[in-house]
Amino acid sequence: MTDFLNPKYYTNRELSWLLFDHRILNEARDKTTPLFERLKFLSITASNLDEFFMVRVASLKDMVNAGYDKKDIAGMTATEQLTALHKEIHHLVDLQYSTLNRSLLPLLEQNGLKIVKAHELLTVEEGEYVDKYFMENVYPVLTPMAVDSSRPFPLIRNKSLNIGALISNKKKDDEAVFAAVQVPSVLNRIVELPNGDGIRKIIFLEEIIERNIDKLFLNYNVICKHPFRIMRNADMTIEEEDAADLLKEIEKQIKMRQWGEAIRLEIEDGCDKRLLKILKKELPIGEENIYEIDGPLDLTVLMKVYGLDGFNQHKTPKFVPQQVPEIPEGCDIFEAIRKQDILMHHPYQTFTPVVEFIRQAAKDSSVLAIKQTLYRVSGNSPIIAALAQAAENGKQVTVLVELKARFDEENNIVWARKLEKAGCHVIYGLVGLKTHSKITLVVRKEEDGIRRYVHLGTGNYNDATAKLYTDIGLLTCSESIGEDATAVFNMLSGYSEPLFWNRLSLAPLWLKDKFLYLIEREKKHALEGRKAHIIAKMNSLCDRDIIAALYEASTAGVKIDLIVRGICCLKVGIPGVSENITVRSIVGNFLEHSRIYYFENDDHYEIYCSSADWMPRNLERRVEILFPVEKQELKEELMHILTLQLEDTQKASLLMADGTYEKIDKRGKKSILAQDEFCKEAKRKAKKGQIAQNTNARRFVPKTHTDEN
Amino acid sequence: MSVKTFAAIDVGSFETSMKIFEFSGKNALRVIDHVSESIDMGSDTYAMGKISNEKLDELCHCLNQFQDIMKSYKVDAYRAYTTSAVREANNGIIVLDQIAQRTGLEVKVLSNSEQRFLDYKAVASKSNAFHRIIEEKTAILDIGGGSIQISLFDNDTLVSTQNLRLGVLRIQEVLTHLNAGNSELDALVDEIATAQLSLYKKLYLKDREIKNVIIVDDYLSPLILKRVGNDVDKAIITADSFDGLSKLFASHSQMEAAKYLDVAEEKIPLIRISAILTNRIVRLMEAELIWAPGAGLSDGIAYEYGEESKLLRGEHDFEKDILACAGNISKRYMGSRKRAETLENLTMEIFDSMKKVHGLGKRERLYLRLAALLHDCGKYISLVNIGETSYDIIMATEMIGLSHMERQIVASIVRFNHSEFSEYEFLGGWGNGTLDRKNYLVVAKLTAILRLCNSLDRSHKQKLKGLKATLNDNELVLTIDSQEDVTLERGYFDMSAEFFREMFSVTPVLRLKKKF
Repeated sequence: MTDFLNPKYYTNRELSWLLFDHRILNEARDKTTPLFERLKFLSITASNLDEFFMVRVASLKDMVNAGYDKKDIAGMTATEQLTALHKEIHHLVDLQYSTLNRSLLPLLEQNGLKIVKAHELLTVEEGEYVDKYFMENVYPVLTPMAVDSSRPFPLIRNKSLNIGALISNKKKDDEAVFAAVQVPSVLNRIVELPNGDGIRKIIFLEEIIERNIDKLFLNYNVICKHPFRIMRNADMTIEEEDAADLLKEIEKQIKMRQWGEAIRLEIEDGCDKRLLKILKKELPIGEENIYEIDGPLDLTVLMKVYGLDGFNQHKTPKFVPQQVPEIPEGCDIFEAIRKQDILMHHPYQTFTPVVEFIRQAAKDSSVLAIKQTLYRVSGNSPIIAALAQAAENGKQVTVLVELKARFDEENNIVWARKLEKAGCHVIYGLVGLKTHSKITLVVRKEEDGIRRYVHLGTGNYNDATAKLYTDIGLLTCSESIGEDATAVFNMLSGYSEPLFWNRLSLAPLWLKDKFLYLIEREKKHALEGRKAHIIAKMNSLCDRDIIAALYEASTAGVKIDLIVRGICCLKVGIPGVSENITVRSIVGNFLEHSRIYYFENDDHYEIYCSSADWMPRNLERRVEILFPVEKQELKEELMHILTLQLEDTQKASLLMADGTYEKIDKRGKKSILAQDEFCKEAKRKAKKGQIAQNTNARRFVPKTHTDEN
Repeated sequence: MSVKTFAAIDVGSFETSMKIFEFSGKNALRVIDHVSESIDMGSDTYAMGKISNEKLDELCHCLNQFQDIMKSYKVDAYRAYTTSAVREANNGIIVLDQIAQRTGLEVKVLSNSEQRFLDYKAVASKSNAFHRIIEEKTAILDIGGGSIQISLFDNDTLVSTQNLRLGVLRIQEVLTHLNAGNSELDALVDEIATAQLSLYKKLYLKDREIKNVIIVDDYLSPLILKRVGNDVDKAIITADSFDGLSKLFASHSQMEAAKYLDVAEEKIPLIRISAILTNRIVRLMEAELIWAPGAGLSDGIAYEYGEESKLLRGEHDFEKDILACAGNISKRYMGSRKRAETLENLTMEIFDSMKKVHGLGKRERLYLRLAALLHDCGKYISLVNIGETSYDIIMATEMIGLSHMERQIVASIVRFNHSEFSEYEFLGGWGNGTLDRKNYLVVAKLTAILRLCNSLDRSHKQKLKGLKATLNDNELVLTIDSQEDVTLERGYFDMSAEFFREMFSVTPVLRLKKKF
């Protein structure tokens, strides 16, 4: 009997994550990707890496510091993981900068945009221009800080870009001291130079400051000056049980984040050794965490370069999310839902119906209550506004705002307060659990009694990210789902669990068992010689129990096709363990985010959507929801989504037995780019819907001549 | 018909819960929301005799939240009931007053028989399965925190009911003192229960065989119901598989049991006690099947409200149950069935003809009928003090469907059928409860009718068959078809007519229509 839990069958999740960042980097390196999109992908690899440091590397550091020596899923201790990671990350960073320096910068220049890498390369006129720019715009907001006996080493803020310098007093013959100035984040880091010879030129703000740094330390000689950036441990530890007021506690911790242990130092390549020595000592930081960078620090700035006006021929045209045909503009959304369950595929289809759902509920006199979970919301969210409006209109509004959504805590506190003010009942999360489920319940008192309308989704209620993330949403007024939704909110409000769930499965109490049951059932069918097939699409796969169950099922003969965007701790192609499993990852223009789970179940296939990945944190430490899609047409739609993704030849990479990812071998295959196909399909559907709507109308629509503009 | 929403709040010994119901015509009743919170007041009451401030605070907080939920559904009405935890607490009245002050909710204490009646109604509201089950000999086992209630059915009518102080919280309280280990628990519970149960068996089960047991509890039956996908009709298991279930706990840790049953771990101890008790009783009755309809007090509250507001019409005849119970009590104490029947007929005839004068309704008619059935049960104990002993017997015997106050009305009518009628005694002299003005008048009026009828059948020979009563202005003319000598009856009649006249300002007149 094979021990499916053997660590050798598993990949370390951090290393697997790095492979994911590599796949994004591959998009930046892919010559078929439009040039500016390549910049964007490169920028994403950088911001991803930042978060990875702040959370994952930090947490490994914590483990090492705490002497925690338990091994991970792949049998590695925290120290072993850190060692392996450092090597890999250095490699990744090298690749990032060689991509930038060797491919992208020359290509940009060829296509009319020159990024001036160093202020030393400016022409005289350009130099004068930036010096003037410095005095007028930059100088007033700078706060230089020097270290001497009376002033301690300054606080270098997390993720901020700084210029470090060594300065010595002009009059005295003292030893050089350390000085630093933060590159102000309020100013645009990109400064465009006056147009010269037909090519647009930009320079980064830090170069301008570096060039003018002597103006900040007038009585000193500047010995050397180099940009640097540090990353701190941002993992918050909150003793929730003891924290009387979670809201206040989190506010406090956000401030503390500025003081976390330094875990990465990025500094300009070839910098002065004395300066480096001071930083090393004062932060303090070890050699392995220092990254000497050949190029601009913090490549997230490339997103701003992407945002420069023009260069449209080098950008993928923006896709406008299409109308959902079942919900034409201006329709009564409740009536539409009563007609049929409605499945939405974002961002191909617009997120507006979801916002509209809450907006209409807020104004509808028959609506009694609106309940919603919010995890990450956009700035200036129309959903928040609608909820507040509803409360002001006398509806009972219950909102669970997850304060612990990482890096959004600050944002969420603001919204929570705003909602409370409007009269909403706000629940600030649950002790010990993050509420990650995405569910909205609208209770309406109709002529024939109470009717519940429910929206369930795989993505956050965030109208901004809904334009970039692929997600599934379901609108339904099915009674059994409505009952379950009521029970969900009762549980979130602290009441006992319901006797019985009709359709939904909830983490952390039931979801994992449900998945294990579904996988086990396929295994049983396979052993009985019946058809057995699992297709699962998710963001990450790293739950040991689930993976072991998949191995078992695979061994029993179940065909398993996984579409895992990010981390995947499962290994494919292990003889006698995972020969029937394929794993592919799709990295495209839109961030793959939907979680769809298909189980063949002999002849009666079942298909589910969820807010949860197959990760321990989703299944054990979060409130998540799995919901079945049961109407035949909608099931087919989801099936189509999965099938098309499995057929993608352009943006998919296959996981190999050696643990690497390789692009699909296109020979003999029709070229398919699933995300593009979905865009086209959404357009076709919207058009069809419009025609249908027009023919259904009892009113003729006369064609008239209108002048454009 | 318009849709009505109703909130039923059950402030229980272990859990406070609320169900929101929707009545939408055509006997349609639907639960649209159900919330519950564990507030263990029973432990306070059963251990210390009173409810602590902490529990009261918790309860008020919870009830305030319930009110928000009620508001959110815009409920048309609510009823909030509490049971033994408050009933038996020394500070029960204060607790209720505090609740009223702090939440604005009116919480009513149910007497045991009212509570059980509502539970019973809840079971009966699952009508299809219920009627199928009670076609065979059936018992209802209603397990509460403080006590359990066993009621028996005969031919789809409930015939007896008995309360035993074997509630799960009460037993748990005892077990805590005994510091029982996991392995001895089954035996201990068994032992605690056996003393009372064997007596029960002797008194009530000796010539009855029971085939089905319906269990009503908040602990175990929800789990059984859950296993069959919440399908009430299917929530039936055999005694043998139940035996297996109840033994699960002894061989598994609390955590394992919780996982297996998919229930919160904190609930396991009470579920376990409930399981052992049920198992014990099922074995005692040698029943074969167990039905767990998952009905609870809240369902009964809604059913009651629905009936009273004419939103629902139940199929089961609960009055028949009460009468059958009374008949059984009479039988137990050697009452004559023939005489009871005569008396019943006479009282009903007079009651109905006097409707305009006494202005009493259907329910009062039932009291009189019951009083007629039970009119002499006390003679089993003493032939001299029949009034007092009958009163005591009736007060000590529960009839499901009759509230404590109603029972007192019936008992009082029987008592004053025999003893001097005294206003003073009524309004505060004796007994646990006293009657208020309204009920006092009910008793007085019904006593007058019963006395009159009693006098008409003084010889106990049922001479007065075919009596016809007609109300003519101030006279109640009673025409009797009798060949027999009624001198004795006429004598007594004149004596009781006086009291009757006093009560109604109507003079009863006896006329004999002799057949030649």
